[in-house]
Amino acid sequence: MQRYQVILQRLLHLLPVLLGISIVSFLLVQLIPGDPVRLMLGARAPDEVVAAVRARYGLDQPILQQYLTYLENLFQGDLGQSIVYRKPVGELIMERLPRTLFLAIYVVCITIPSTIFLAITAARHQGRKIDHIITTSAVFGITIPVFWLGIMMARLFGVEFGWFPVSGYGNNFFGHLHHLFLPALSTAIWMVPVLVRNLRSAILEQMEADYVVAGRSKGLPEQYLFYYHILKNSIMPTLNLFGVMVAVLFGGTVIVEKVYAVPGLGDLMISSIFGRDYFVVQAITLFYAVVTITVTLAVDIISTIIDPRVKL
Amino acid sequence: MGKSKNTQGTTTPLLSVENLEVAFDSINGNVHAVRGMSFSVGEGEIVGIVGESGSGKSVACRSILGLLPSNASIDGQVLFEGSNIIGQHEDELRKIRGKQISMIFQNPASHLDPLMTNGQQIGEALRYHFNQDSRKARAEGIELLKAVGITDPEQTFDAYPHQLSGGMKQRVLIACAIACRPKLLLADEPTTALDVTVQARILDLLRTLNQERNLSIVLVSHDLGVIAELCQRVVVVHNGLIVEQGKIEDVVSSPKDPYTRMLIDSQPTIKVRARRARSGPEPELVPEPAAQPSNLLSVENLCVNFHTSRGLFDFFRRRKNSGLVKAVDGISFKIRQGEIFGIVGESGSGKSTVALAITKLVSPSEGQVQFHGKSIMKLRGDELTNYRRSVQMVFQNPYNSLNPRFTVAQTVAEPLLKHGLAIKAECADRVDELMELVDLSIDLRHRYPHQLSGGQCQRVGIARALAMKPEFLIADEVTSALDVSIQAQILALLERLRDKINLTILYISHDLAVVQLFCQRVAVFRAGRLVEIGPVDEVLTRPKEKYTQTLVNSAPQLHFSASLSGH
Amino acid sequence: MSLRNLPTTLFVGAGIFILWLVTAFCGPLLMGTDPNALNFEALLQRPNINHLFGTDHLGRDILTRVVYAGRIDIWMGFAGVLPALIIGTLFGLMAGYFGGVVEAVLMRVTDVTQAFPFFVLVLAIVAVLGPGLTNFFIAIAAVGWVSYARLIRAEVLVVKNAEYVLAAKILGYHPLFIAFRHVLPNVLAPIIVYAMTDAVLVILFGAGLGFLGLGVQPPTAEWGVMIANGQPYVTGAWWICLFPGLATVTLGLGFSLIGDGLAKHLRIKN
Repeated sequence: MQRYQVILQRLLHLLPVLLGISIVSFLLVQLIPGDPVRLMLGARAPDEVVAAVRARYGLDQPILQQYLTYLENLFQGDLGQSIVYRKPVGELIMERLPRTLFLAIYVVCITIPSTIFLAITAARHQGRKIDHIITTSAVFGITIPVFWLGIMMARLFGVEFGWFPVSGYGNNFFGHLHHLFLPALSTAIWMVPVLVRNLRSAILEQMEADYVVAGRSKGLPEQYLFYYHILKNSIMPTLNLFGVMVAVLFGGTVIVEKVYAVPGLGDLMISSIFGRDYFVVQAITLFYAVVTITVTLAVDIISTIIDPRVKL
Repeated sequence: MGKSKNTQGTTTPLLSVENLEVAFDSINGNVHAVRGMSFSVGEGEIVGIVGESGSGKSVACRSILGLLPSNASIDGQVLFEGSNIIGQHEDELRKIRGKQISMIFQNPASHLDPLMTNGQQIGEALRYHFNQDSRKARAEGIELLKAVGITDPEQTFDAYPHQLSGGMKQRVLIACAIACRPKLLLADEPTTALDVTVQARILDLLRTLNQERNLSIVLVSHDLGVIAELCQRVVVVHNGLIVEQGKIEDVVSSPKDPYTRMLIDSQPTIKVRARRARSGPEPELVPEPAAQPSNLLSVENLCVNFHTSRGLFDFFRRRKNSGLVKAVDGISFKIRQGEIFGIVGESGSGKSTVALAITKLVSPSEGQVQFHGKSIMKLRGDELTNYRRSVQMVFQNPYNSLNPRFTVAQTVAEPLLKHGLAIKAECADRVDELMELVDLSIDLRHRYPHQLSGGQCQRVGIARALAMKPEFLIADEVTSALDVSIQAQILALLERLRDKINLTILYISHDLAVVQLFCQRVAVFRAGRLVEIGPVDEVLTRPKEKYTQTLVNSAPQLHFSASLSGH
Repeated sequence: MSLRNLPTTLFVGAGIFILWLVTAFCGPLLMGTDPNALNFEALLQRPNINHLFGTDHLGRDILTRVVYAGRIDIWMGFAGVLPALIIGTLFGLMAGYFGGVVEAVLMRVTDVTQAFPFFVLVLAIVAVLGPGLTNFFIAIAAVGWVSYARLIRAEVLVVKNAEYVLAAKILGYHPLFIAFRHVLPNVLAPIIVYAMTDAVLVILFGAGLGFLGLGVQPPTAEWGVMIANGQPYVTGAWWICLFPGLATVTLGLGFSLIGDGLAKHLRIKN
């Protein structure tokens, strides 16, 4: 099967998933105990307004009809209306998105090189001191709460040493880099250990592989075998995990944005939860899912390029 | 070129191994895998190393190139063209590997990097040893693929390993190995994972390479037949020691060591003349169906289909029928009461699927199976339970066929208890009886599968099946994972059981020699169809069909013993 | 089979875990102080002899609160993992062994659930159900079982073709008997290892929700809540945040090491 055919099939596969996530995000609002509109608008809102909002979103109709209305709105790019901000949710998201995206890409840029470097170092010195240091720190890294690490680093590098700002987003590119360094670092510190452990054990497994022995029997040098055979084969499982970790990363940014007061999507989500701005919560959840699906899709496409055997 | 005369005696041999000792450091202390082996390989010579699993043959072979894991310690000398390889620095070793001595392996699939094209893997050695640019490497790689008998070398060069069949992969691996024109090729069980017809072609290829390129070969194998097919001299190893070595004819026809003799006696071969002399009246004079005991099981026009892929878009695929594989395609045969009936075929021939259909683990899309003249297709409830009791099966993989969390006693007792064949109190006695029946020491009662040998596991599997007191036993490749000496014991056990408790046995195997030795009648399968059926001596000595002839001719034989016993 | 063959990490992990169990459940009996007792005489005190971990902005003893909070956080690890594990295992076993509709449904549900970032979905569910520990457990179970089911299913697909399972079928056992007696015990090992990692995640998420104010509600002592309480004072009084954080790390470490040890041990055995 040709590669583009494989990718096309993978895209077709997305349709039911997209339908599924729309159902889940639709059900979120249905799950609310009591009348969501009343909860959102508060007890003092006049009945006509409540009824109007309900009619606007079709909440007075049977559930299936409501879902269809919801889908129809989604297709038209209408994610709903924020009660608190009195703005379309889509606009709110677009305002906040660049900041969260910047943070996420920042984290990925820190994560990938350090993961590869640490995993290779550990694997090539398997059983020696440096390997023990890396693997032990990795175990610790996984158990550290991101928000706590964020607070402690802000205290140390922000307050004590005054190297980095402890809140906000900055005004230009370098300002962003400076402001978001600590948030990005604390998220990366949580992601890197998971990936390092995975990549290290993948490398160790591949080092034992038969084709390495075969390569050795051809007289190929160890250095060549490591970078051209072993590493390439070890990347695959880690790449898939990386896809999953990016989803986790977006979860992590929610809490990190809160700690460092970065006015991004996560921050919006939290404040909307407290403001009972349910349509915003619903829309952001849906939006995160779409981002995750896109990343997973990208990872899958990269997999087909690296590994000729992959069938999606 | 072309002359492969042995230059033994006066000149120094190409390779000489002297007092080789290899020990592995492990948690359980030192394990001596090789305990002093000495042998030599002359220029243009093919030397075989034969031994059962754990004999140290592969370890010895790998230590020649220094390919052992780091916990191995090596003692002794390996002289290649007069200079010692052992203890050389890695840099020096690399100049020898691939360029002077190279190696091929048992499982070609895992020895090729799945992410690189075949061509890249052939080319990398050329590039490294000869600094060739990629265009030259390509031209040479394609030549090499031609030389190892690949029909479309250019396409294969750019393909990935997973797109090739097992035999093709082995050819690619051989092309990698001979790319830098080494003088010596170490072949570690190169055909064990392959079908017998493919094996024959790979052995032909090795012979051709030996003659055309004056390539010396060390062939390591558990199969004396394969060694006899190809080698001029043989080294017999057992427990890390060489028990005997010499010219292949001499060793096979007059073995001096008792172990070698046992190995030769256990090795089933198609002993054409010997068999026929014993079998009395000419087989074709025996009328086929009449005057025979009644049929126990009959399979009629059996078809089994599989769908290869399952998924969301199956719906579209099934309509096009593209995912449909006919594993069994219209097969009919009858098995008589009390006989041992053999099915032979290569992988993908549908032989195991037939067994699954008989045991009702897959349902046929057409045709039927009758047991005692009654169709089994619609059995339910008690009738099905009775059928299950009558028909039991033993499997190929000794360790995989036993639940790793059950002791021997638990495994054997479970069917007794579940089917109310024994009450709790007498269960232990029944288990002991069954274990004795299959020659298992009852001291093993509380062992787990990983604490047993392969042969012991197979006996437990047989005991479990016998617990149901079956009339009919299906043995699916039961000995193919075992050493030949153990295989002989298991076959003897099955033969004895047939007489003792009146079993009818369906013996499924890829090994013609075993089938000839063990079965009365045989059916030859190919790609889901029945090729030929009849008494073994008839089918395997005078095959009517071309495919059966190919199979028989491909089976490695101990020519010498056969011809000797024929005299 | 002897204890000596077990990896050291397993012992260290189990040691840490047992130490936490004893501290959290027996410690309060010895201390006898109320974790919520306010003491306006001793606001924001540095760690000292009377208050080993110092006090917070309401004069509450940090040590006492960390120990008390241990109960809730350990409980979170169990109650967050077990329902997901049980539901997921059963569903995965049925889907993998019997296939059919159950499997089709599972695969679709898996695809959809995994499209959401885990934490975001949990957060959203808690947001609509309302804050609190019970709703957190509901959310975790509702989202978390999918991973277990997927893992079990993958294992079952391998084991169900093992020859001992075929043998059991030919011996005429009931399919459910085969599924539970022959398949399930042979697929549990990776699940148990995963459950340990999952426990760490659940504790971190639980504390995270507490930190955001959506989990355990103040004044109840919980590590995440305590860290949130300390955040405004962290510049002057770092100890309020430091100790609950360290507590989370050590408890997580215990679970992690047990998981690592088990993984190492089981892999050697296989």
